[in-house]
Amino acid sequence: MRKYAYGFIRGVDAVNHRIGRIVMYGIFVLMGILIWSSVSKTFFMPSLWTLEMAQFAMVTYYILGGPYSIQLGSNVRMDLLYGEWSLRKKAWVDLITVLFLIFYLGVLLYGAVGSTAYSLGYYGSEPFSFFGGLITGAESVGRMETSPTAWRPWLWPIKSVMILGIFLMLMQCISELLKDVLRLKGETI
Amino acid sequence: MSYDLIATLMFATMMLMLLTGQRVFGAIGFVAVIAALFLWGDRGGYDLGFSAAMKLMKWYPLLTLPMFIFMGYVLSESKIADDLYKMFHVWMGGLRGGLAIGTIGLMVLISAMNGLSVAGMAIGSTIALPELLKRGYDKRMVTGVIQAGSSLGILVPPSVVLVLYAMIARQPVGQLWLAGVVPGLMMAAMFIAYIVIRCWINPVLGPVLPAEERNIPRAEKLRLLRAGILPLVIFATMMVPFVNGWTSLVESSAIGALAAFLAAVLKGRMTKEVFENSVRNTLGITCMFMWIILAALAFGAVFDGLGAVKAIEGLFTDRLNLSPWMILILMQLSFILMGTFLDDTAMLVIVAPLYVPLVGELGFDLIWYGILYTITTQIAYMTPPFGYNLFLMRAMAPPEITLRDIYASITPFVAVMVLALVLVMMFPGIATWLPEYVYNKP
Amino acid sequence: QSKITWRLQTYAGAALAEHVIKPAIDSFNMIAGDEMQIELYYADQLVPTGELFQAMQRGTIDAVQSDDDSMASPTDVTVFGGYFPFASRYSLDVPVLFNQYGLNEIWDEEYSKVGVKHISAGAWDPCHFATKEPIRSLADLKGKRVFTFPTAGRFMAQFGVIPVNLPWEDIEVAVQTGELDGIAWSGITEDYTVGWADVTNYFLTNNISGAWAGSFFANMERWDELSPRLQELLKVCMDQSHYYRQWWYWGGEASLRVDGTKMELTSIPDEEWQTVEDAAVKFWDEIAAESPTKAKVVEILKKYNADMVKAGRPYRYGKA
Ligand SMILES: NC(=[NH2+])NCCC[C@H](N)C(=O)O
Ligand code: NA
Ligand code: NA
Repeated sequence: MRKYAYGFIRGVDAVNHRIGRIVMYGIFVLMGILIWSSVSKTFFMPSLWTLEMAQFAMVTYYILGGPYSIQLGSNVRMDLLYGEWSLRKKAWVDLITVLFLIFYLGVLLYGAVGSTAYSLGYYGSEPFSFFGGLITGAESVGRMETSPTAWRPWLWPIKSVMILGIFLMLMQCISELLKDVLRLKGETI
Repeated sequence: MSYDLIATLMFATMMLMLLTGQRVFGAIGFVAVIAALFLWGDRGGYDLGFSAAMKLMKWYPLLTLPMFIFMGYVLSESKIADDLYKMFHVWMGGLRGGLAIGTIGLMVLISAMNGLSVAGMAIGSTIALPELLKRGYDKRMVTGVIQAGSSLGILVPPSVVLVLYAMIARQPVGQLWLAGVVPGLMMAAMFIAYIVIRCWINPVLGPVLPAEERNIPRAEKLRLLRAGILPLVIFATMMVPFVNGWTSLVESSAIGALAAFLAAVLKGRMTKEVFENSVRNTLGITCMFMWIILAALAFGAVFDGLGAVKAIEGLFTDRLNLSPWMILILMQLSFILMGTFLDDTAMLVIVAPLYVPLVGELGFDLIWYGILYTITTQIAYMTPPFGYNLFLMRAMAPPEITLRDIYASITPFVAVMVLALVLVMMFPGIATWLPEYVYNKP
Repeated sequence: QSKITWRLQTYAGAALAEHVIKPAIDSFNMIAGDEMQIELYYADQLVPTGELFQAMQRGTIDAVQSDDDSMASPTDVTVFGGYFPFASRYSLDVPVLFNQYGLNEIWDEEYSKVGVKHISAGAWDPCHFATKEPIRSLADLKGKRVFTFPTAGRFMAQFGVIPVNLPWEDIEVAVQTGELDGIAWSGITEDYTVGWADVTNYFLTNNISGAWAGSFFANMERWDELSPRLQELLKVCMDQSHYYRQWWYWGGEASLRVDGTKMELTSIPDEEWQTVEDAAVKFWDEIAAESPTKAKVVEILKKYNADMVKAGRPYRYGKA
């Protein structure tokens, strides 16, 4: 059991660490798009795609970067009480409240899956079985949702990124949960 | 269960969850989705959390957020601000409390280069704080100075808070930013006045710098003034094209970030380590803000669905039957109260949409109110139990500064802020004069 | 029997909804009383406009007021909602097309396929440019970043317009923050009503469509659950809202052109504007080539407009 927990923690943390390390350079992508937007507007024709592209870049940046930000401990907490507690007490409380966080992420993920299925032309109410069906070939991709703009990009790519990011966030929180459990068993992590 | 009751319950649960010390976005998001599920169940309760993510994606002014954060980290990590600090150090050191006064000056300049308070906090606590402590300044006084000074970041333009307020109140950002200038400077002056008076009465709080540190050749002294040019240049590259309409708001923020980055490179300060820290911390802080806003948007949508706007209006106007000014004052008070508990971005997304329309309906000027709103936010940012400054101070301050010190340090400054708030309320011209003058608004 | 509650989200922000939907909902609620109430939500309030259609399919919201184009409905008629370039000249054209030329049937069929009830289509105002800088020739359109409809934007892009899409509530500020140079989304009545006239200076009298075509939709299951009486009441109230808009816009456009002080009127000369109208003919054919349903709608539009030209004044003055 303990071995699996450690394996899980190590695996998840490593993946999220790596993704976060890559995504953090996305700040330059975002900056580049916005600068290009002003340059092209001033000197040539403004581009159709810059604003939306910047929005996609931004979403990718903060969603995929989320788990790494948890590792970095950047997510503020109200530490009025929390700050004073012993490590053990913190672990106990976290152990419980992280479940709420996990629940929130679960709902978020559910919504993301539904919305992505929609973006692939599935209008039913069982998005998970739709994706299952896609793999087995029982379902096929329908009308692909495009953004209601003149540029009309497909939306499934960004929505898939969001699924991935939320999923990884969920994994990271489970990893945090396991760490708390191990801490309470007296291990130092 | 009545809608009002649900809304109250949601707020209470959120406060409680926040007290457990769970990450803020988790606390807010959980309450939001639970409420949505409870209210709407399988008729859409599940989708609400995610549809907030799509809303967030389309909220274009948020693109400025990572840009300003990056800018702030470049300024603080690369220690460009060191020169600025040295300038103030030498020029103001001869006065009682002079270094503290200089720190306020430094914070004003940093605020002009940045849209948030985080940069000021980081710079203040890494550069100014150790120096001041070394020079025997009173630790409570200096901790307060840095926290209060850094909060000017959102009042002095550019300001992210005012951008988001502009979107909610549908007021021109340009005018709002200009409206923040005079109150920002006024508040800085009031901080300085406070420091001067305290140190006058009790010189040990801020001892004069020893002569040998101050006796620098005149030429050298003048040379140090050049440090002040950089902030002006960065401020101008961002603001001039924007105010003239050559670049849009989000583009300007990217230009500002680029300018700060280039400045660091040109000054030879962009080492590998600085680069790494700025890039990494930008991701961390951006994620923190974004995930909070994401959760708060969901919370706000449920709140909205409950008709909270109408409930609040009804409460203030019909049930309590108050005059417009009474309502305004009550709103500010409740803002401050909620702000002690709530994170300021969350407050902006959840509470501002409830209040701003009412303020408009009561016939108040929404530009002016934007400034009142921002000052309230500054107070919220400062006051325990929750505030970024508390969080950041804890992380960055040397161990001799205890939590108790941090809490105690802000009291006089919050009092000054409240005074500033009252002044702007009584004399709206403090805020509205400059935008009217520049835009020649009728 | 318990009271039925519906959530209806409109594309319009509060200021506009005051006219284009609120009166109808108020009437409905008053008449339906304890039997049924509709809660009205404004643009992006519960769900962002982009997610509107999906939200209705899933029942997050029960009904929607919007147009096929703006909410990107996954149907073959999407492009015809909103302002399909030069499809209509007057706001009366829209109900005629739907009721007498067979569009109702096509819409009904298309929406039934995706689990949505198309309740009723109606007309709104014409589509004009409101801009910060004056437009006096086609060349002035070049490089202008303009908030407009997806299809209209796609069409106008050939004249150098850069279509931008943002949440409705953000438009006014976006003009001020320089994200937009103008708006091609409404007639002058709306420009004044919602505050856009305060942030733009010029109004172009040439329009790319004489009337917006939009509809009321509902989640099919929810609709089926209603008694025939409530269904009928709903339809009547929606139709009543079309009527309100007929006079509100028609009168408003004229009086603001004559008495409005916030925007200066400019025009592109008719001969030059003809280029745009000619381009529309080509555009229609491109669209028709995309699918049989689209071809059918285009054919109807052509037939209708030809009939109107033949009917002569007052239906059409000169070419369509
Ligand atoms: N779903 C929409 N975006 N519809 C736009 C309608 C445009 C029209 N000018 C109106 O507001 O009445
Ligand atoms: Na600032
Ligand atoms: Na606070």
